[in-house]
Amino acid sequence: MSHTVLICDDAIFMRTMVGDILQQAGFEIVGEAETGVQAVEKYQQLRPDLVTMDIVMPDMGGIDAVREICKLDPQARILMCSAMGQQALVVEAIQAGAKDFVVKPFQPSRVLEAVQRVLG
Amino acid sequence: MDNEQYAELFLTESREHITAVNQALLELEQGGGGASATAAVGAIFRSVHTIKGMGATMGYAIVAELAHELETVLDRVRRNELAIDGDVTDVLFRAADVLEQAVEAAVAGREGAVVTTELVERLRGMVEHEAGDEGWTVDAPPGDGTLVRVRLAPDTPLKGVRAFIIVQALGRIGEVTGTEPPLEEIQIDGFDADFALRLLTPSGAADIDRVARSAGDVTDVQVGEDEEHAAAQASAPIAAAPRSPTPTSVAAVPQGGAGPGAVPGAPAAAPARSVRIDVRRLDNLMNLIGELVIARGRLTQLAAEIGDAALEETVSQSSRLITELRDEITASRMVPVSHVFDRFPRVVRDAARAVGKQVEFIVEGKDIELDRSMLDEIGDSIVHLLRNSIDHGLEMPAVREAAGKSPVGRLTLSAVRDRSAVVIKVSDDGKGIDRDKVLARAKRDGLVDEHKTDLSPDELLRLIARPGFSTAEKVTDLSGRGVGVDAVYTRVRSLGGAMDIRSVQGQGTTMLLRLPLTLAIVRALLARVADETYAIPLVHVNETIELTADVVRTVKGREVLLARDEVLPLLRLRSLVDLPAYEPRSDIDLEQVVVIDVGDRRAGLVIDELTGQEEIVVKQYDAVHDGPTFFGGATLLGDGTPSLIVDVSSLL
Repeated sequence: MSHTVLICDDAIFMRTMVGDILQQAGFEIVGEAETGVQAVEKYQQLRPDLVTMDIVMPDMGGIDAVREICKLDPQARILMCSAMGQQALVVEAIQAGAKDFVVKPFQPSRVLEAVQRVLG
Repeated sequence: MDNEQYAELFLTESREHITAVNQALLELEQGGGGASATAAVGAIFRSVHTIKGMGATMGYAIVAELAHELETVLDRVRRNELAIDGDVTDVLFRAADVLEQAVEAAVAGREGAVVTTELVERLRGMVEHEAGDEGWTVDAPPGDGTLVRVRLAPDTPLKGVRAFIIVQALGRIGEVTGTEPPLEEIQIDGFDADFALRLLTPSGAADIDRVARSAGDVTDVQVGEDEEHAAAQASAPIAAAPRSPTPTSVAAVPQGGAGPGAVPGAPAAAPARSVRIDVRRLDNLMNLIGELVIARGRLTQLAAEIGDAALEETVSQSSRLITELRDEITASRMVPVSHVFDRFPRVVRDAARAVGKQVEFIVEGKDIELDRSMLDEIGDSIVHLLRNSIDHGLEMPAVREAAGKSPVGRLTLSAVRDRSAVVIKVSDDGKGIDRDKVLARAKRDGLVDEHKTDLSPDELLRLIARPGFSTAEKVTDLSGRGVGVDAVYTRVRSLGGAMDIRSVQGQGTTMLLRLPLTLAIVRALLARVADETYAIPLVHVNETIELTADVVRTVKGREVLLARDEVLPLLRLRSLVDLPAYEPRSDIDLEQVVVIDVGDRRAGLVIDELTGQEEIVVKQYDAVHDGPTFFGGATLLGDGTPSLIVDVSSLL
């Protein structure tokens, strides 16, 4: 059975891109979220194996979403998607409970490596 | 200078470097580490580095790239960051091959034809996976617990965050009591590639290593204090051995010895002062001096006829100068056979591996010199013979052991100076040639009499040198296509040399190639028959005797010569060139016999009269179709008359 993924990003472009990379690697995209609030709601509904989380999103940012999700499920496996220069934010997200991160622009190999680490 | 000229220089020099690389790789593979391994790695590194520089200058991107990647790997080896093992040497050997192909292709203008991507990837992989642990750039943090140093890959994104994740991961198997630099600094990328921490943990070094690496982007981890680590390092395959070998070990280098543990090709002590000269220029010089030698002969003769003392003195002085000049030019064309021999260990290794045999390859007489063009011509032939030995001569290890031999076959290549010839010998201790099989095959093909029960060495050679004659059960990659021995035989003869074979069943086979030192100028005995003067190369002349009645016998209807208790076949040049028998002018007018030899084979050649000795310049000539086959060239004598050169080996 393939791993299930919830993709959280406010940009369709990024969601599509991450989705494609993961789908091609055999993952099943079970849901997408455009805001932090949606991310928490969908996590509760879908209980995916993996969440990819953008840091900057409207209506509750990614880091707060990580905190909320980890409250619901301390075992949640969350991969942060960040841009360069968000150093401090990524550290904060890791402290909040995210397991790993990838940096935009995404390289498929790097994304998959990070996903392996998060799931492994 | 035009680009083409550069290209040629590049090609020549790159080939030399690739040969050096192969040689050093073989040393590396055989040698037991230590100083010799360090020297070998250094040599490879320098050669590859040179090729890279030249390739880049020439604009050969693929050559430069490949050399660069190879250099990176070698650099790690050199700094003891990457241990040499079978896999590594295999990749390096392959890299040397591909690099050679790339060099050749680049010069030929089709650089794109060589696929290097896979190899480049492999080389890169070696560097990434075996990243070094040398030169930690971070101090140990104060505090209790085990010291852990971590190095991140150079291209790690947000390395501060990555380091933070690693610290966090290690924190799950113990307590991190301190970091260097401090954690706040680490988080904001305040370090180079290395950071360190102290960890109070019940976990062992292996666990710590694993946890750190699994956090991602880690190229190296060191667990424990420096001293402990240094001790572990000392056991690495290539230990940090003393850089310069002791003088004794250089002096002890056996000439041409390539056996295990030998260190052939030690760096030359004194730099030779030399310039590079296009071989074609040397060829031209050789031709010119050849003409000059002929003119000298003519001049000497004319001066003698005129009989003017001053003229004769001047002529004899210039004659001496011409001789010196010729000697110098000949010497400048001579190169040690190692020029070509040095690439054979690699050939032997690959050939032996391909058929799963074990071979100890011994090279002797590497410093024997031979004319450059002769050497170039004969290289392929030697490869043929070496491959033949490996493929057909030497047995599989199990077979050898069953026969009471060492499982490792012995293959010897030697060069020996013999008079004005060089004898090259390829010798193996394999199973020898199965004469019965050759005989049977020869009978089947109707090449020998059906009732024949044995073959002499001569007959054996003649048979196996026949085009397409092979007793090999199957054709392999290497040889057995029946093009080996006959190609060699033809080549050697065309060079004015001779070939011989000795084979003892169960004990091995030896092939002998006898080559003149130089292609162009030879000393010859001048022999008159009727109105013609023939030249017999002095290399093949053993002695001359008068043909008196008591040295000739007739055995089974054939004339033989009794010379020093030996019975030799007698050939009459007159009958060979279809002239009537000699008519003596008086009782004391005797014909002469020139005893000619090629290796062990000898015969007497009857001629009318010996007229002298001369240095002759061998000119290739186009033999008349269906004409005599025993002339190997033509020359102009000192008096300007043309003369045919007797090809002694074809007479024997």
